[in-house]
Amino acid sequence: MILPSRSAVLVGYGRGVVSEDAAADAALLADLRKVLGSRARDNDFERGLYSRDGSIEGSSPAIVCLPETAAEVAEIVRICRRHGRPFLARGSGTGLAGGAVPVGSPVVVATAKMDRVVEVDTANRVAWVEPGVLNLDLSRALTPLGFYFAPDPSSQQVCSIGGNIANNSGGPHCLAYGVTTAHIAALEVVLPSGETTILGGVEAEPAGLDLRGLFVGSEGTMGIATKAAVRLTPNAPSVRTLLLDFDDVSEGSAAVSAIIAAGLVPSALEMMDQRAIEIVEAFAHAGYPTGAAAVLLVELDGLPGGVEAGVDIVREVAQKHHVGHVRVAADDEERALLWKGRKNAFGAVARIKPDYYLHDTVVPRSKLTEVLEKVYRIADAYGLIAVNVFHAGDGNLHPILAFDRREPGVDERVKAAGRDIVAASIEAGGVLSGEHGIGLEKRDYMGMLFSTHDMYTQDVVRETFDPDGLANPLKIIPTGSRCSDSFHQHVPEGAWV
Amino acid sequence: MSTVSTFPLQLDIDSETLASCVACGMCLPHCPTYRVTGEESASPRGRIALMRDVAERGEADAAFVEFMDACIQCRGCETACPAGVHYGHMMETTREALASQTRYQPRLRRLAYRALGMPRLLGFGSRLLGLSQRLGLMRLVSLLGRVRPFRQLGAMTASLPRVPVRQAPLIASGDDVWLFTGCVMDAWMRETHRAVQAVIEATGAGVALPPAGAACCGSLHLHAGLASDTRRLARKVMAALPGEAPILIDSAGCGATMKEYGHLLGTEEARRFAERVQDVHEWLAERVDDLPEGAVTSVDASGPDAGSPVVGRGAQRLQIAVQDPCHLRHVQQAHLPVRAVLSRFFDVVELDDDGLCCGAGGAYSQQHPEVAAAVRDRKVAAIERTGASVVASANPGCTLHLRAVGLDVCHPLEIVAEHLPATEA
Repeated sequence: MILPSRSAVLVGYGRGVVSEDAAADAALLADLRKVLGSRARDNDFERGLYSRDGSIEGSSPAIVCLPETAAEVAEIVRICRRHGRPFLARGSGTGLAGGAVPVGSPVVVATAKMDRVVEVDTANRVAWVEPGVLNLDLSRALTPLGFYFAPDPSSQQVCSIGGNIANNSGGPHCLAYGVTTAHIAALEVVLPSGETTILGGVEAEPAGLDLRGLFVGSEGTMGIATKAAVRLTPNAPSVRTLLLDFDDVSEGSAAVSAIIAAGLVPSALEMMDQRAIEIVEAFAHAGYPTGAAAVLLVELDGLPGGVEAGVDIVREVAQKHHVGHVRVAADDEERALLWKGRKNAFGAVARIKPDYYLHDTVVPRSKLTEVLEKVYRIADAYGLIAVNVFHAGDGNLHPILAFDRREPGVDERVKAAGRDIVAASIEAGGVLSGEHGIGLEKRDYMGMLFSTHDMYTQDVVRETFDPDGLANPLKIIPTGSRCSDSFHQHVPEGAWV
Repeated sequence: MSTVSTFPLQLDIDSETLASCVACGMCLPHCPTYRVTGEESASPRGRIALMRDVAERGEADAAFVEFMDACIQCRGCETACPAGVHYGHMMETTREALASQTRYQPRLRRLAYRALGMPRLLGFGSRLLGLSQRLGLMRLVSLLGRVRPFRQLGAMTASLPRVPVRQAPLIASGDDVWLFTGCVMDAWMRETHRAVQAVIEATGAGVALPPAGAACCGSLHLHAGLASDTRRLARKVMAALPGEAPILIDSAGCGATMKEYGHLLGTEEARRFAERVQDVHEWLAERVDDLPEGAVTSVDASGPDAGSPVVGRGAQRLQIAVQDPCHLRHVQQAHLPVRAVLSRFFDVVELDDDGLCCGAGGAYSQQHPEVAAAVRDRKVAAIERTGASVVASANPGCTLHLRAVGLDVCHPLEIVAEHLPATEA
């Protein structure tokens, strides 16, 4: 079989996890084949292909299922339950925290074939879509009707709505419009019991507890979404995109806070450091100033008058912070080119090193400069290259550690540096993750932010949905948090919890 | 888990190249086979992971061959790849390893590919085919196709276009540029060459034509893993097109391969030859002002004079949807010149699918008819969304594949040639 090409992380066995057993696998496969036919796969090649997502973790599943309908998903879950086998949903497999890495020989339920936009209701500004619909495809389908789907992760051309729901994904434009949960009205989900139910509702005030809100961001630990009612956001009548360059990173980050303090909420406010600018320019040829220490990409949208006034304010603030140039994109083509650079930054890192480890933490905006400096120091200390491209407006850092896994011992250094970056962010009053989720990557860091009691409570909620622990087990909450494991680190003063 | 019989396979792709993919997945939506299947094994990211695995282990199995064979080689993933991974070369190396070390290309298919380099045989076969089609003999073949052993033959013949029986020869008019005529295209679609030649001549240039020996560029062989055949054909093509004159190509697939002769043969001569190769639109785009104004710009669609041409200013310009052949857009990156030429005469309408493949893929649509048809459905939907009734495509494979579902598809320069003012000659 294909061993995960990067370091295989084998995580301890916990509840709900069955050890590998050929006879059990064969019986499970036979039952799945009755429902899915050849769309239940157990060949080594394909199990290898579904062993990874966009993160650096990996572990092979027992069986890969490729359902085409919600009814098939429900059947798969019921079969898994009967066999006591864990299962996990997978969208496009671009997640960066290992949320879709199949730990403990589970059944992978890949929803990519479920990619229909079922119904668009412009009067109520809602569309029902299947989980495999790609984020950008959805917005493109809605554009002629005057709408779009607001959350826009950098991977939006490939990431799926199902994955966005699992991770409560963000994106550059979530600064003004809110993250995924603000754009999901209702969900059809298959619960770990195998029952199908609707959470939330398209009406203004659905009755009962907001279980929809609980489900969004639960990384597949509470069931599998088979259909979502997404909210439609009207296309902005006017959009302006500005590129500001600075000779000094701290001036750039000070400008970020100043723009927001001036009363503006740009639809996006992104920052890139010098290395990021160079890498991105080599791919996108968008005219990014490769000599600058940092650039800010600022987007304003709304009614034309307001947007133009906003452009003037940004220009004024930037000048106070010694901006080099203020470039206002002349047309949609130039805007698209600037964004193309920003949205492909991570993959483009391969131009300097073949592997990267992308982090995701949040710090208060006022601490950006301080934490960035720490990130550079940490990377230096471990002999790694740090590249920074991030959502500056909401303090969501994305330090990328570029490395070559063929260098001996580099895995340990990368992980240690990652841990230090997380610790530095939390120390500055930040949190573990802005938008990529906890998954496997940050599971064992949960104790840095949450008390044993907090984690116990989270686990109880999860158990209410999934008493047998079969839905994407061993993710998010560290094993043992139900027992008396002690976590020596506690929430620091002033943390954003 | 399951027991599968494996065989040794030496895959000579260096580890640096294999490691260049960081598995970010940005390629997935730009891969036609991933788009229609939603399966990792049908994606560039998945195929590279499989190549890496086989390269490390030195063995493969039937599933690996199937996954590699399912790639259309459109190279749309290369355009999308932020890391600049050379997927096309990796796939060509893989296919070459399969063809040289396994029975990946059965003997019959190898012979068929070889025939492309034999213009007399190809011409004779094509006339025979055209005649059979007219005499209704192909009905017999398709009936035969209902019997299991001939099923593939039946499916192939059913998707063949109507082939001409007799074609007038092209006549050279000078030596400013070469017009490369190719194999199947010359046998089946010589009228396209004639139109292209007329447009080149309209700029005032004289066109030289290769002798029959320069029959085939070897593109299909390269995609099938028969790179040594491609090299052999490349030497013949190079010998047949001597001198310094630019070599103009009106088939995107051929142009893409001929531009790679330097890489393929590794000689200085081949590199110099490859530098002379241009897609015909690249050459024309620099001379677009030398082309005469179009005489007829649209056809009156309504009113008492419906159907009669509207001449001169004020006439509504004809709307042309441009379908970019992958080997023009993703490999040669020469799709913009097509627009530069067309927009002198027409309104160019863009498709909204980011240049996703149409499913033709040289011989792919014959070998994988179901996937090719599913990929084509997406393209047809994108074309329908434009509302344009005429589609321009600068590659014969795409043209035939799209015509097979009733679309009005022509080479861009055929449409231009129709709208050139009649020459005094």
